Amino acid sequence: MTPAETNAAPDTQWPRWEVFKQDAEGKPHQAVGSVHAADAEHALLMARSVHARRPAAVSLWVAPADAVHAVTAEQLATDPETPAPFGAGARRFLVFRKTSHRRSMTFVEHVGAVTAAGPEGAVAAARETYPEPPALAWWVVPADRVTASPEAEVAAWFEPAGTKTYKQQSEYGTLAAGHRKGGRR
Amino acid sequence: MTLSPELRAALVERLTAMADDELVLGHRDSEWTGHAPILEEDIALANIAQDEIGHALLWLEARRELDGSDPDALAYRRSAGAWRNARLLELPKGDWAFTMLRQFLFDVFETELLARLQASACASVAEAAAKAAKEEVFHLRHSGLWLRRLAGGTEESATRLRSAMDRAWPYLPQLWQPLAGDAALTEAGILPDMAEVGAAALERVRAALTGSGLEPPEVPPNPGGRDRHGEDLVALLIDMQSVARADPEATAW
Repeated sequence: MTPAETNAAPDTQWPRWEVFKQDAEGKPHQAVGSVHAADAEHALLMARSVHARRPAAVSLWVAPADAVHAVTAEQLATDPETPAPFGAGARRFLVFRKTSHRRSMTFVEHVGAVTAAGPEGAVAAARETYPEPPALAWWVVPADRVTASPEAEVAAWFEPAGTKTYKQQSEYGTLAAGHRKGGRR
Repeated sequence: MTLSPELRAALVERLTAMADDELVLGHRDSEWTGHAPILEEDIALANIAQDEIGHALLWLEARRELDGSDPDALAYRRSAGAWRNARLLELPKGDWAFTMLRQFLFDVFETELLARLQASACASVAEAAAKAAKEEVFHLRHSGLWLRRLAGGTEESATRLRSAMDRAWPYLPQLWQPLAGDAALTEAGILPDMAEVGAAALERVRAALTGSGLEPPEVPPNPGGRDRHGEDLVALLIDMQSVARADPEATAW
């Protein structure tokens, strides 16, 4: 079916990449959103520009969105997945989970890694390996599909953010109806 | 450090050239805001524009220490004839290939200059150079990535990149052409030898082009002093200075 027949514009976007940001050494990488990019290297640069211009960060990971296998606890309860048999094709998966949906700032966080034949097996292994606290959602990603920001360039990528203050628009002086509100910064 | 009147005047000239390069390029980059090929690149280039404008402020603040000049007055109330930016940076933004190539050429030059300027005998200049150098590492990654992608992309992207090279090349050596007072500054350990900065930058540019399968053009003779500008700068300043000139007494904006 052509785009005209479906009445939809053709998708000209580059592939989507999930972005994981680590705020400080010792803290887990958290899923903070996504970017469109041509490849992994480009995705990292876009991720830095879109997701780490202001907030604190020491590391970024990106993974193609189609490499992320995501499943909720509810889905697992109603329609359990059948893991592929564990065999010679076993690969390493990074495991992420979300354990809270209180307040708005909840994230799918990196918790560890498992070895499995496929993503369903990785979720099963993750549930056994990381039972507590109970997860609301699991993401598993083949480790070889994840690309990290260069460790040698941490200062160049993330330190300038510390000198750039984020200001709400109300921080800036404005003139409204003859009344001066705020002042020149 | 205490500077003789001659060295002080020479450093004011050099800092003005450095600030004007950054501010004019930053403004050209900012013209893409809302118009870049994809949202992510729009944000990335707006960030880079802000960084370059921030570097301009570093150099104008360093100049203020020397002669008490007001950075806002220099940015918003100075006419084209008094600007000291290189011509390459005032050319219209063109297409994405030209924008990325120009950014790459400037990033390479700035990286080589700042690497040496961090050892300046003038402490405030060395400190500002260290701050700006950090951001240039990331800028160069971004523009370098685009250079390789455009060169190795489609026939159209390679054609556009070659046109951009034809357009930029005649202006390239003006970036590192020494000013009248530079030799004295180099003698005093304040400024690196600009000819050496230029040679290092050119070598790096050539290596990047060759690595991307492009033939680096011959470097032309110097296009003249930084006091000569085209009409493009006049148009840029009308746009950039219009708000400040419309309300020179504004206290909040």
